Amino acid sequence: MSFDTVLQYGHLLLEGSWLTIKLSGLALLIGAFCAMPMSVARSSDRRWLSLPVRVYISFFRGTPMLAQLFLIYYGAGQYRHELQVLNLWWLFRDPFYCALITFALNTTAYQAELLRGGIQGVPRGEIEAAKAYGMSTWLRYRLIVLPHAYRIAFPALGNEVILLLKGSAIASVVTLFDLMGQTRTIFAKTFDFSIYLWAALLYLVITMLIVRVWRRLEDRLNPHLRRRAVQRSSTPAVAVAPTE
Amino acid sequence: MNTQVKENATSQVLDAPLIARDIHKSFGELEVLKGISLTSHQHDVTAILGSSGSGKSTFLRCLNLLEVPDAGELIVHGQQVHIKHNRLGEAVPEDERLVERIRARLGMVFQQFNLWSHMTVLENCMVGPLRVLKQPKAEVEERARYYLNKVGLSDRADHYPSHLSGGQQQRAAIARALTMEPDVMLFDEPTSALDPELVGEVLLVMRKLAEEGRTMIVVTHEMAFAREVSSHVMFLHKGLVEEEGAPEKLFQQQESERFRQFLSTNF
Repeated sequence: MSFDTVLQYGHLLLEGSWLTIKLSGLALLIGAFCAMPMSVARSSDRRWLSLPVRVYISFFRGTPMLAQLFLIYYGAGQYRHELQVLNLWWLFRDPFYCALITFALNTTAYQAELLRGGIQGVPRGEIEAAKAYGMSTWLRYRLIVLPHAYRIAFPALGNEVILLLKGSAIASVVTLFDLMGQTRTIFAKTFDFSIYLWAALLYLVITMLIVRVWRRLEDRLNPHLRRRAVQRSSTPAVAVAPTE
Repeated sequence: MNTQVKENATSQVLDAPLIARDIHKSFGELEVLKGISLTSHQHDVTAILGSSGSGKSTFLRCLNLLEVPDAGELIVHGQQVHIKHNRLGEAVPEDERLVERIRARLGMVFQQFNLWSHMTVLENCMVGPLRVLKQPKAEVEERARYYLNKVGLSDRADHYPSHLSGGQQQRAAIARALTMEPDVMLFDEPTSALDPELVGEVLLVMRKLAEEGRTMIVVTHEMAFAREVSSHVMFLHKGLVEEEGAPEKLFQQQESERFRQFLSTNF
């Protein structure tokens, strides 16, 4: 294995990595924004609120993301005229936006479902206490239910970040030069198989960084789950005799 | 201490901060409460006794509308709660805002403590007064620390509930209720989830509160507490008041055979 190819084309791989990060990062942010109200609607007792969200979630969870991407990228072309009237054609003409919309819709569904699990995991007694202290539904969600639900769902959400980042490789089939797209073109030029290994390595580095950051955040978010290393109390607890 | 001033101010508002008349409640086919009445005057300590399934906890939960009574009258702080029935035939309060205001006037202490686990003890105490009563932060913090000190937890203010023992958690929950400065404190079997050696510390705090003249309604299995601390005892059986009265009298001589049996097995 020689390093010639990677030395010559390495900057393209890095450019591709940046597009991969930008694309999945934006999609994840949009998803985080939309998933929160959706998960609240999904956990509602009112069927007219929860049912549409359920349909949405099962569609995006139950079909391949590649199919969803094709549906939007190629499907939108069929409605070009209508989209132009609505002044939305610029969005669906551009493969970047098509991929972004697909990924955002997809991750919204997953994040909403994960967050719903978190909402269901909030101890009932704590919600009851919030009621008993006169909190309105809005306050209850804001101060007790959602902060709790995010903490519960947090590790699973980290998993979703990684899954989407890797899944975003399919953007390369709609002509985007993300990490995977760059790799494919370099391979087409050089027929040097090692470039795929370098691409894999880059994906690995990015995901490992995410895992590390996520762990840090998780620790910071859950001080109540950490064991107290040092008791900061001024009065020592009961002194235990060393005998026994 | 400005909390003292406040207590005196509210004490002049009303003589009976909580009146419940003829409360009925069913869960499906099961009629749990068949008409129970209770008037809680200022400084009353009412102990509600009864074996499990007697409806005592349900009755207490009806008082702050965690369960909505199917029928009956509930007047808290001079304001009556009106109940309507929705399409499914469930009882719901007519005015949700009024219910929230009423709940903020009744401090509740749960069997399972139900502290908010992602907040420190101090935050637990402060969040209600800050966000529900919208009081200024400095004042709330001073009061929270005052009450934490009172229940003997001033050195645990920055701890999370999961780092405390059961007894400490329950005392923190009492401080949380006190920081709201409620008209009436409701206790739902506050010592039933505790290890036997931790029961004493919680009862001691409750005894102190009773001596201060706080209005309390306590569902409990602690007979000694009911006899020594309460001013009024209610014994429930199958959703009805089987016997009630002053503890001095009631613990001497019982009219109801069931109450006598209950006492002999629970003392």
